[in-house]
Amino acid sequence: MATTLLILHGLVAVALIGAITHQTLATWAPLKAKPNTFFGRFRAIESAGFTNAIVVLYLISALLGAVVYLYFKIDLQPNLERDRHWHALGFLDLKEDFVAIGLGVLPAYWFCWRRPLNSQNHQARAALTLLLAFIVWWAFLVGHVINNIGGFGA
Amino acid sequence: MSTSAHHRFVFAFGAAFALFYAIARARGLALFTLYPAQGIVLLGTHRSRDVADPVLDFLAPEMFWYGWIASAAIGALVVGLLAALLPGRLYWFWAWCVWLVPPMAMSACVYLTIPWFRL
Repeated sequence: MATTLLILHGLVAVALIGAITHQTLATWAPLKAKPNTFFGRFRAIESAGFTNAIVVLYLISALLGAVVYLYFKIDLQPNLERDRHWHALGFLDLKEDFVAIGLGVLPAYWFCWRRPLNSQNHQARAALTLLLAFIVWWAFLVGHVINNIGGFGA
Repeated sequence: MSTSAHHRFVFAFGAAFALFYAIARARGLALFTLYPAQGIVLLGTHRSRDVADPVLDFLAPEMFWYGWIASAAIGALVVGLLAALLPGRLYWFWAWCVWLVPPMAMSACVYLTIPWFRL
């Protein structure tokens, strides 16, 4: 059960990382990028279209992570402590903190990207998108490393 | 609530949630503590302590994370509602707070995690 949930959590995270990275680059890429360049093509898409998907994927991913965390706490953390993986546990602590803070800003992020886009919220929109992208990348990488340390199906 | 009040609510909620989460994390203010191995939920912060044999502490690991989130959410809800009721001219303040406070709270969490890296 835990392994199935973990795989599902990973798959949702992959979809989320793709969407948030796309939107972040589209938001922060230079406006004067040429149309046929990498950033130019990113700019060509309507980045607001990712918002609902990002919110839903973030919520599902956080929920699955919160469930998997129960198994981790009982089955995996004692082993990590026994093997003195203190840095990994520290990074995981940060992952849970960052993800929680991301949950808190999610409604504001969604409001900022609501159509029609309000120019008054441009700064908050760009900053929150970058913040969420950082959180998602951090959570993804730390989760990946912890899973590697624990081993598949551990 | 008007759209502007909605905006103020979500902006204030986001900023306050991050702030309260960092405070809950620093002060150990979990609304409830979960013992996943036993399937027990206790109101407030409770640390598992096996006085007879501290080595067996891992048998009853406690989880505060869900409790910290609940504490932060309640505090943020109150601040959000207050912000929605306050005059609209404070909109700019919440619009700044929502993206300035969370990174500061994240930095505080990094600071609180330092002990792991000193072991």
